[in-house]
Amino acid sequence: MELRNIEMAARGGGEDCKKEDKLEFRVLHVPLPSEREASIALGSLAPDREPRKGGITKELSALGNVLSVRWTADEARILRVSVGSFLDNLALVLETMEQFGPSVPL
Amino acid sequence: MTVVIGFEGSANKIGVGIVRDGEVLANPRRTYITPPGQGFLPSETSKHHRGVILTVLREALQQAALKPADIDCVAYTKGPGMGAPLVTVAIVARTVAQLWRKPLLGVNHCIGHIEMGRLITHANNPTVLYVSGGNTQVIAYSEKRYRIFGETIDIAVGNCLDRFARVIKISNDPSPGYNIEQMAKKGSQYVELPYTVKGMDVSFSGILSYIEETLFAMLVEITERAMAHCSSQEVLIVGGVGCNLRLQEMMRIMCMERGAKVFATDERFCVDNGAMIAQAGWEMFRAGQLTDLADSWITQRYRTDEVEVTWRD
Repeated sequence: MELRNIEMAARGGGEDCKKEDKLEFRVLHVPLPSEREASIALGSLAPDREPRKGGITKELSALGNVLSVRWTADEARILRVSVGSFLDNLALVLETMEQFGPSVPL
Repeated sequence: MTVVIGFEGSANKIGVGIVRDGEVLANPRRTYITPPGQGFLPSETSKHHRGVILTVLREALQQAALKPADIDCVAYTKGPGMGAPLVTVAIVARTVAQLWRKPLLGVNHCIGHIEMGRLITHANNPTVLYVSGGNTQVIAYSEKRYRIFGETIDIAVGNCLDRFARVIKISNDPSPGYNIEQMAKKGSQYVELPYTVKGMDVSFSGILSYIEETLFAMLVEITERAMAHCSSQEVLIVGGVGCNLRLQEMMRIMCMERGAKVFATDERFCVDNGAMIAQAGWEMFRAGQLTDLADSWITQRYRTDEVEVTWRD
């Protein structure tokens, strides 16, 4: 599996933008420091449903130390909102793991 | 010995509390306060919580003088409340639960208020008036459920007060309700009609007194009705609006006429806080309830009577 970082996806380097089908499709692959942290990130970010009832789906998965997210959306702006929220939440998970992870003495 | 940490952030307060066998070891909290005339919106509230939650968590552990290893269970607010802030808090709870390898418990926010009220006041089996910015319910316990006897058919009483404060641009610091109460105290005249003009000036404290008297009288009436149905001799007031001394006084007058008792807590515990989630989590954990990670999604709607109250007889 190829690894792409978040910057590439943000520049539009994500896979498969099928505008003609009115289906926006973005994939993010986020490398984490370890397999355990990828698994924890998945556990924290997967349970909540998208707040918007229709027009967007989001799938999360983890393989090794990589967390992958795949969106399908009807409109670009719906996708933008979801991706933005996801990145905020991911940043919070990473910061929590950094501050309260096993290597940090408390 | 059972130690539970609780995370709460369903509205504009973010709190992390730690409870050990009925003792509140720590209960730090921050409030997202908006300028006068503005309410708080989900995305900004969530951003506020994201910015401070880890600091508050660290404070809680320090105040309790505990390490993560000392915690037995991680409780968080599953709902009801605002979506984005609920998610923010749930995410941190899930992360530390996995990091520290502790079981997770999703708690109903209203039940958090009730269990903290019961703990602090030692009320035995009260009729509960739950009044806050987001909720207005009259609740009584019966056969493993907190039954909703009555509720607002539209907005919560605190929401009504907050919106009114917004219109007349009362400060939101520390909370609009608190400032309404202080101003209403200065109003000595109960005004029948909510329209007071003195020459070129207007007087608002009369209107606020009117607002409070009318809203609170309505709440006292429905509480009294529930007490009559349940043959109850105790009232417990929980939720942010429960801090209001006039409401407590009016409830006390009604109760005295019935030979009943009123219980209320101070602002540490009636305003949203983390320890109340920890306390409800403590009850649930000891009764054997747990929340799987996959089922730990938050929900904006979560009725008080949806929860099976396995910890009471």
